[in-house]
Amino acid sequence: MDSFLEFLKGPFFRFSFAIMILGLLRIFILTLINGFEAKSKAKDKQLPMNYVKKLTIGYVLPIRAFRTKPVYSFVSIMFHIGLLITPIFLFDHALLFSNSISFSWVGITLSKEWADNLTLLTIFAGTLLLIMRVSDRKSRFISRKQDYLWPLILLIPFITGWIAANLTLEPETYKFYMIIHILAGNIIFILIPFTKIAHCVLLPLSQWITARTWKFVPEAGERVEKILGKEGRKL
Amino acid sequence: MNSNIKNKEIPEMKYIIEKTEETDRVTQFLKIFAAILQETNYRPALEQFIKVSAKCAKCTTTCHVFEHTNDVRDIPCYRSELLLSVYRRYFSLEGSLYARLFGGFELTEEHISKMQYSFWNCTACRKCVLECPSGIDHGLLTHLARYILAEMNLTPRALVISTREQLHGETGNTSAIPFIALKDSLEFLEEELQEMFGKEIKFPIDVEGAEYLFFAPVSDYLMEAETLMGIAAVLNSAGVSWTISSKYYDAINYGLFYSDLVLERVLGKIEEEYHRLKAKKILIGECGHATRSATFLKSFWKHGEAPELVNILQLTHKLLQEGKIKIDPTKITEKVTYHDPCNISRQGWIIKEPREILHAFCKNYVEMTPSGQENYCCGGGGGTVSIDEIRKYRTLVSGQKKAEQIRKTGAHYIVAPCANCKKQIRETMEDNNVDGELLGLHDLILKAIIIE
Repeated sequence: MDSFLEFLKGPFFRFSFAIMILGLLRIFILTLINGFEAKSKAKDKQLPMNYVKKLTIGYVLPIRAFRTKPVYSFVSIMFHIGLLITPIFLFDHALLFSNSISFSWVGITLSKEWADNLTLLTIFAGTLLLIMRVSDRKSRFISRKQDYLWPLILLIPFITGWIAANLTLEPETYKFYMIIHILAGNIIFILIPFTKIAHCVLLPLSQWITARTWKFVPEAGERVEKILGKEGRKL
Repeated sequence: MNSNIKNKEIPEMKYIIEKTEETDRVTQFLKIFAAILQETNYRPALEQFIKVSAKCAKCTTTCHVFEHTNDVRDIPCYRSELLLSVYRRYFSLEGSLYARLFGGFELTEEHISKMQYSFWNCTACRKCVLECPSGIDHGLLTHLARYILAEMNLTPRALVISTREQLHGETGNTSAIPFIALKDSLEFLEEELQEMFGKEIKFPIDVEGAEYLFFAPVSDYLMEAETLMGIAAVLNSAGVSWTISSKYYDAINYGLFYSDLVLERVLGKIEEEYHRLKAKKILIGECGHATRSATFLKSFWKHGEAPELVNILQLTHKLLQEGKIKIDPTKITEKVTYHDPCNISRQGWIIKEPREILHAFCKNYVEMTPSGQENYCCGGGGGTVSIDEIRKYRTLVSGQKKAEQIRKTGAHYIVAPCANCKKQIRETMEDNNVDGELLGLHDLILKAIIIE
């Protein structure tokens, strides 16, 4: 168990974290490239920037969130707050990072009370999100496997983390929970760039990409006709 | 209208198509999709949308179709997924790799039939786009799906016939009105205006070098006389230099609804007349989709840079503000409300101008709820208003939200500055026994304008 734990904390963590960072960087850059390529192909380069900015900021920050489904939106925001703040500003995680990279944020980490409360908030909100998805006919109809699995997977490191930090456990039991905690975390890192969680970097680009797409390419329609062997044909 | 699902009868949404060749539609669909992806700018959006969707169902709270039918197949995100699943499986790296390993979605004849009707259930009003946190443009996907289907000749016959006449027919417009009939019609309107105001108010034709080259939705020339008279009264009263072309006079562009090819070809006709008459700006009449289609002139203009595009509401607003037209504030005493045509209001474009015009002479003005950018679609958007065989679907399903909104205002005059919205809302009001008179903004101005 010890060597497996060391593997998970060491090489496997570095591997999965790299996959996440590189994967997200890849799709972010590819999306930017796509957008600029669309700009170069279009004749009309102007965008409705007020509209693009208004909707981008409105959805990246929780400004437009409450326009529809306010209860769901509130739970989702609470979930996101806990999900993002807790792992990043947890003292134990910050310490781990400061041991391996040149800078540290150990000085601005959460107190144990805050960390525990945010963890419980995340667990509670995540469970609620899953219940709301399962209990609503419309949500069930459009949900994919990942829409049900993600709240479950995300809850695992939070539940095991809370247990490891708060319960008095036998050493082997503690190691078991740590294995689950770190393994789940690493799997989450690997999956992030390949699933809808990629929205963490892509969401701010959505309105801009859509606006670029609406700037149609001159004569593209005619070239499509040519490719399809319909050149010169009337409607 | 009672929204109890058990008691509701939802009229069918089945449009007529022209006979197509029997062929392998699956291969055909994919070939067309591939060609479109190669030449256009759709790929970035599709790549984005397949990755970011949260499946939150927020779009259900704002779709006028879903809110009435409560049918899960009308969920905008579900409809978009019909096309996105094809893109993901056949045209995205991750999607095709995943499919090779784990199988999953495959395009079938049945799926194409589903798309064929589902994408015409949507009116592409894009109200859902305002609520999607992931930024998925369901209206864009409706447009793209319809474009692919159009290349397979799976487009409502009504639109194809009109567009065929516009692009290849003798009259060169969607209502098949020959110029001689148009000229007669305009002369008659000039006589009417002379009688109303005791002054000569003309519709100038083929004037070279005019500031504004005017295009109305051609159906207005036969069906919305008062809108045109109101526009002529405003422009003449303010001494605006404008003209109509005798060769091409139709602002309508169904390409916005279903085909990039048609969109560009029809706009080419506007450019041709612009150069022929050496005009300075393009002026579009009371029509939402025609105005929005014309914004694509900037994308498709062939010789030089596209000229300034103005919608008549913007021009009338400017003339009013500059004191170049006068409207009697005592003439309209009835309650007035305003419907925002989606194509000019959804992205926050022309919203305050029509209201400021109305406030200037309608003392009893009441807003619909919601209004402005969030106003509901008339129910006949996206070209569906032109499909007569689905009238019951349009007025009893798609138009229900609009009918409710109008009823709640209790307005006598419902102003809708869009040819399509006018037809749709009139039919909706008739089929749902909603009281009131639906008219254009310039119809109302005509009743109150002061011509000196």
